Amino acid sequence: MRWIAASAAALALLAQGAAADTFRFTAIPDEDQSRLVERFSKVADYLEERLDVEVEYVPVKSYGAAVTAFRNDQVQLAWFGGLSGVQARRLVPDSRAIAQGAEDAAFETYFIAHRSTRLEDGDQLPDAVEGMSFTFGSKTSTSGRLMPEHYLRQRFGEAPDEIFSRVGFSGDHSRTIALVEAGTYELGAVNYAVWDAAVEDGRVDTDQVQVIWTTPSYPDYQWTLRGDADERYGEGFSDRVRAALLEMDDPALLDSFPRSAFIPADNAMYAPIEDVAEELGLLR
Amino acid sequence: MSDAALPRRPAWLAGRATGPRLARHTLTLIALALLLAPLADLSVVTRDPWTELGRMLQGLAWPDFASVESPFHALGLTVSVALWGTLAGVVLGFPLALLFARSRLVRAGCAFVRAIHELFWALLFLQVFGLSALTALAALAIPYAGIFAKVFAEILEQTPRAPADALPPGVGRLSRFLYAELPLAWTQLAAYIRYRFECGLRASVLLGFVGLPTLGFQLETAFREGRYPEAGALLWCFYLLIATLPWWSHRRLVPLLLVGGVFLLGPWPAVDGGLLWRFVSQDLWPAPLLAGDGAGLVDWFASIPELAPAIGNTLLLALLGTVGALLVAMALWPLASRHFGHPASRLAGRGLLVLLRSTPELMLAFVFLLLLGPSLLPAWLALALHNGALIAFLVARHADGLEPGMPGLPASGRLAYELLPRVYPSLLALLYYRAEVILRETAILGMLGVATLGYYIDENFQYLMFDTAAFLLLVTAGLNIAVDALSRRLRPREVPQEDPCLR
Repeated sequence: MRWIAASAAALALLAQGAAADTFRFTAIPDEDQSRLVERFSKVADYLEERLDVEVEYVPVKSYGAAVTAFRNDQVQLAWFGGLSGVQARRLVPDSRAIAQGAEDAAFETYFIAHRSTRLEDGDQLPDAVEGMSFTFGSKTSTSGRLMPEHYLRQRFGEAPDEIFSRVGFSGDHSRTIALVEAGTYELGAVNYAVWDAAVEDGRVDTDQVQVIWTTPSYPDYQWTLRGDADERYGEGFSDRVRAALLEMDDPALLDSFPRSAFIPADNAMYAPIEDVAEELGLLR
Repeated sequence: MSDAALPRRPAWLAGRATGPRLARHTLTLIALALLLAPLADLSVVTRDPWTELGRMLQGLAWPDFASVESPFHALGLTVSVALWGTLAGVVLGFPLALLFARSRLVRAGCAFVRAIHELFWALLFLQVFGLSALTALAALAIPYAGIFAKVFAEILEQTPRAPADALPPGVGRLSRFLYAELPLAWTQLAAYIRYRFECGLRASVLLGFVGLPTLGFQLETAFREGRYPEAGALLWCFYLLIATLPWWSHRRLVPLLLVGGVFLLGPWPAVDGGLLWRFVSQDLWPAPLLAGDGAGLVDWFASIPELAPAIGNTLLLALLGTVGALLVAMALWPLASRHFGHPASRLAGRGLLVLLRSTPELMLAFVFLLLLGPSLLPAWLALALHNGALIAFLVARHADGLEPGMPGLPASGRLAYELLPRVYPSLLALLYYRAEVILRETAILGMLGVATLGYYIDENFQYLMFDTAAFLLLVTAGLNIAVDALSRRLRPREVPQEDPCLR
């Protein structure tokens, strides 16, 4: 029993709070989440150099966890998806979207279909999809759930589980592709960037599965910063963070997101996402 | 109920002896499952799963260890979380065990904390402590405290009374416990802690699925994104960890592991009382209730997903999973027992059991999802195989401790007339204990679109609607407590109590 007491004492010694003035950020790329720490530590180094404060990357698994970390001030800056950004800015007053990827101003979702459906690429979703099986990506993904559900409701005037015989949530874009390719689900909705990357790398058999419809464009991923950043890190800190992001031009850093560049963004751009999320009952 | 009122049973099913009674239980369970199975959606849709399954097998056969980011840190953290979480559970659970028999409040509290899955505890603590070791430890320690309290109380209850009675009058309660009760129960307590530690390892991996940086963090991401060589490497790491458990978790190594674990678990977060208070006093309660808005509260209730189908699905899946686990356990335990086969077949059998019980259900479910299409079926098979293999492992260990009394019987006779009758009561007892666990595990198969209670809980955590999630957690906990009470009533009483791990 003695070692229990000794270990408990050691534990108490180590149980001290982390330094308070480190600037922390988190990011979840929409594809390839391997070696997160290694890749984003480089981004942290870049920001550290530009901002003159200690910068640390906090790896998180889900957008829900990212929003919670942001709300609890465990991270001050986050690379959010469209919906998670809106959730976060609602929970943290004065926080604001400061930059988005060049690709995010006009993001799209592809509807994909297994070859057995014999559906072809068209200007709108064919009526024939009714009664087929369908899978979204993760439940809180903007491109894998929110916007595709919105356009489905617009097209058919019904909830997805009334349109389709079966509705699943694959949990991830890559999985949506895998499940539709295997014919487990006949249809799926997938982030266009993930699909394009998978096709380019030959990771998907386009004889088995193909795009049948592309949604209109909508805003997606963005950097969101807490409102009290200037107060805590010095006057003009927010502007310096934004400048550092907009001027990031090293492809090795940008590839982690993966984006070609960052462009300015503001909260108002995401109003459409907020409206749709409220309409679908994902926000209140 | 008098025997005369019952319909006549065939002779082999009649009577109050253990054998026929257990046979009746088993047959009733199977009949109930068969009767209710048509209510479940069990359709099979397959087209061409073989490409994806091929990729998976390839990943498992040729794992890519180099692609894993800091595997030793993840492994170390998995072990540390399990070790410290179990230890904290023991420290919290032990005092409760002493009060367990006397206090209804303690019993109810323990039943409640046990009834919520480790993953959901983690999701709750995540809101307050963030992604830190504190979240991980609390998520293990709290439900384990409830389990330890119950099991320790049962073990202590069975320690012989004689030494305590022999003490002179006036000896304090504490001295009596330390000198006359603890030494007698120590071996059993230690064996149970050891078994719980293996459960802790699996739970520790699972915690990675919600974002704590244990082995499960990278495993889930790699698997989800189809990077199977990396997922394969991580799975092999975990299989090896479980298979070599008896060697590296030696009594003398534990203090070393504990101290090493402390360094891996840090840095510790500063606990923010404000966050904790906000979460407990606001986030968990429906906003209209806090505002005293009666009409709003009615709307709030209307926004909760329909409970009846969710409860129905949860119970149905749990029943099917339990019966499936029974069949799987019956089929698999002889493979790993010393009474059957030869060394090579036993090694293969044990390997198979490690594989099945260590692969997270979520992954088994995904494989079956590809093979069989979306329905309740993949969830059923995943639950049955995982839990069946776990029971088979424990039953095989139990059987290994038995000496056959009729030497010279062929293997089939040894199984049918000698060993099965002797291990069956404990197999069934284990199954009833496991039924409660299966009920909790139905929660994490929401990916298949099987709308169980857990599916909605997970969904509401993702939508950050903690009040709804908390409400559904209460419903789940109530359901679990009811099933636990039922299974306790049905559990065979004749189970030899020498092995506390059979619970």
